[in-house]
Amino acid sequence: MLRAEHVIARYSSGALIPHRLSPENERVREVADALVGLYADHAGKPKRDLEADLALLEEELGPRLDARRGFRILRALAKLLEERASWAPPTEADPYTLRTRVFELAAAMPELPAADENLLGSSTREEVLSHVARETGVEGVVSLMHADRQGAQVLAAFEAPLSAEELVERYNVAQIQGVLYGARNMTVDLGRGADARLVFRYVKLLGLIYALETLDGEAGAGHRLRLDGPLSLFGGTRKYGLRLAKFLPGLLLTAPWTLRAEVAWKGRDAILELDSETSGLSSHYSGPADDEEDDTRGAFLKAWERAKDNAGWVLEEGAGIIPLPPLRAALVPDFKLRRPPGDEEVHLEILGFWSERHLIERVALVREAQARGHRVLVAAPESLGTSPETLREATSGEVIPFKNRLDVKSVLAALGS
Amino acid sequence: MATELRYESGTLVADVLADERPPPPFVWDGRTRQWRAPAGAYRETVLRLREAGTPFADHAARFDRLRLESRVAMEPRPYQTEALNAWRNEGLRGVVVLPTGAGKTAVAVRAIERAGRSTLVVVPTLALLKQWYSVLSDSFGHAVTVGLVGGGYHEVTPLTVTTYDSAYIHMERYGDRFALAVYDEVHHLPAEKYAVIPKMLLAPYSLGLTATPERPDGGHDLLPDLVGPVVYRRSPEDLAGTYLAPYETVRIPVKLTAVERVEYEVADAVYRDFLKKHRLSIRSPEDWQRFVMVASTSHSGGREALLAARRRREIRANAERKGVTLESLLKQHWHDRTIIFTKSVEEVYALSERFLVPGITYETPARERKEILDRFREGRYRAVVASDVLNEGVDVPEADVAVILAGSASRREYVQRLGRDLRPRENMRVVLYELVTEGTGEEAASRRRRETVP
Repeated sequence: MLRAEHVIARYSSGALIPHRLSPENERVREVADALVGLYADHAGKPKRDLEADLALLEEELGPRLDARRGFRILRALAKLLEERASWAPPTEADPYTLRTRVFELAAAMPELPAADENLLGSSTREEVLSHVARETGVEGVVSLMHADRQGAQVLAAFEAPLSAEELVERYNVAQIQGVLYGARNMTVDLGRGADARLVFRYVKLLGLIYALETLDGEAGAGHRLRLDGPLSLFGGTRKYGLRLAKFLPGLLLTAPWTLRAEVAWKGRDAILELDSETSGLSSHYSGPADDEEDDTRGAFLKAWERAKDNAGWVLEEGAGIIPLPPLRAALVPDFKLRRPPGDEEVHLEILGFWSERHLIERVALVREAQARGHRVLVAAPESLGTSPETLREATSGEVIPFKNRLDVKSVLAALGS
Repeated sequence: MATELRYESGTLVADVLADERPPPPFVWDGRTRQWRAPAGAYRETVLRLREAGTPFADHAARFDRLRLESRVAMEPRPYQTEALNAWRNEGLRGVVVLPTGAGKTAVAVRAIERAGRSTLVVVPTLALLKQWYSVLSDSFGHAVTVGLVGGGYHEVTPLTVTTYDSAYIHMERYGDRFALAVYDEVHHLPAEKYAVIPKMLLAPYSLGLTATPERPDGGHDLLPDLVGPVVYRRSPEDLAGTYLAPYETVRIPVKLTAVERVEYEVADAVYRDFLKKHRLSIRSPEDWQRFVMVASTSHSGGREALLAARRRREIRANAERKGVTLESLLKQHWHDRTIIFTKSVEEVYALSERFLVPGITYETPARERKEILDRFREGRYRAVVASDVLNEGVDVPEADVAVILAGSASRREYVQRLGRDLRPRENMRVVLYELVTEGTGEEAASRRRRETVP
């Protein structure tokens, strides 16, 4: 994430266009390569050296990249690299103890410790320092007495080194995030096929509040989410801008969507618009790892398509969203089943091998959804370790236990057909 | 029980029976299906409910009663007592306006004592964060651990100091824990961003402190809503003479050595030549950026100009005679308490290592800063080097001698304040030395400073 002073955007009749770098541009590559190289070469060296080299690079490459904003662009890129660096103290000695002892001893002298030896034989600076060196067994007291300062820390590790291209990609997302720091709210239209569950996961994680609407557009059914926070009720506040900024990379993990945010920018109100189709952005979030769950889901989908008799039930593409406002969450079950002509609706939720906390959370959502009159079937793998009875009680609903694969027959049986 | 109040992420939620509605400013939140108000409406809500005789359960407030009694002996000045009384009469709410150096902090310490409940102190800078930590630990450290949020600290206790920036980010998590909010330099509060802070806090009591509540954008009109009305006000003129200490300034010109002189003039000529050629003048940091930009893209003489500019600065900052002069002052005043101010953080550490006296900058951890100043006050340290942290509201430690290493064109208040704030020992007069390198830009800066000092 960038600091506010790194954020660059163009305001044009009400719309904001965040600054972007093209990875194809030769000068951009030159700068990105130089910065990535600088960090890579700095392992084990103190921070103040790196900062001095950065300042030189800024002066040298900055104006060539962009006459007006080159400095800021370089600094922003460096900030993104800095986030991956970890720094360690250059010494095992405790600088605080060293200097405190030095100051104490010096202050106890009857006069200011002399810089050099003199005829009067008064105590010297050197005597104070060697006294402390003897006491502590540390060599080079002066050079270590402030070694806990930031600039003295040495580059211990550079996590997951970025390529120049990745750095530029990260920059382009970070500039949009920077504009979102000033966002009062955000409206996201999720298209059919977007992973709503993932989206709600980030909404919840970031403590945002949503309002949900169902859309029936030309592009097919979808959902509109309006995101802000508790205090937004009393007039737009930018307080949740940072969280909306953190939400963006989560959204980038899925598609399709369009986004519109009301943003305060340099004393003006502006709009930021973005969509998954044209943004060309990639997320640096890794997203939840639920491969196994995906496998179960995929296998069930195939089995359903191959099944001869589905008792009139239609498996809908795209999951249903059941908003649960008091829990500030929504349940997004894996599948929605519908049976014409009455259009009876049933949701199917497949539990995965989650952490206990996650499982409890999900079960609470199912329970709340049932309480609101939604019918939710819960498919639970036997290896989950929780008995179907316990789950039945916890979710106050129907539970379908399964071994390796969830088969169509048991689902149809549970549907009661 | 009909009405239940709960705190939720900076807001106050009221659970009522289906056909009832809580008093304004509660509004129906359709997103979560709850009655919701800003947490700041707590005082008003509780008063209304009590007045109407409505039974209610308060699950919102989580602040504690504190038995606080400052252990720092203080003879309150009469105007401090008046200020405190005015604040009490307003129902423990309001803004106290006192000039710098008049002991605003002392008023706050007594207000905290008086309220006797969990307190949050909000300050604009890290330097002030550390200073308040130190004052509150001195006063109440025996009874309660002082917490810090901001500047790398995150420890919330019933007596916590935080910055406006950190409060803005974090207080929706802790806004139910404090009964009193003290806003130092309260003229910052009406900024759009910070005005959210009181909304997130239940705190029924609040105290704002400042020397100058007025804001050019008219934001001070919001203060009565945010903290309460101005309940007490005194100007520097009201208090001059009686309470603010007199001082004496001594200006010491420092000449460059012959070698430095020559080198400086060469570098200066190269630099100025380049500026002239490109019709540049340097008056602000942006001008400097423009110079660097022009110089680094220029094909002829740009690189040389950059180097010359850097060299020029170095010579000025490291003038040998400056160091020697400082050394002789330190020698001369080894038995007084001397504080040295410089603009540059790097210079603080260089001088600290050269003269083996402790340095204080914004990097110094809060606990160490307090330790250094305590020892300085006790006389265990004879001198302290500090970076220019006096910009806003930071108390200068009690000292007999101050040395300003010039190099910055400060506002006229700088020297005035320094002179006022240094509290000499009895029957002594503060001496303030100003070291200025002659023949460089520093002279003009110092002249500007002096011309406006009475």
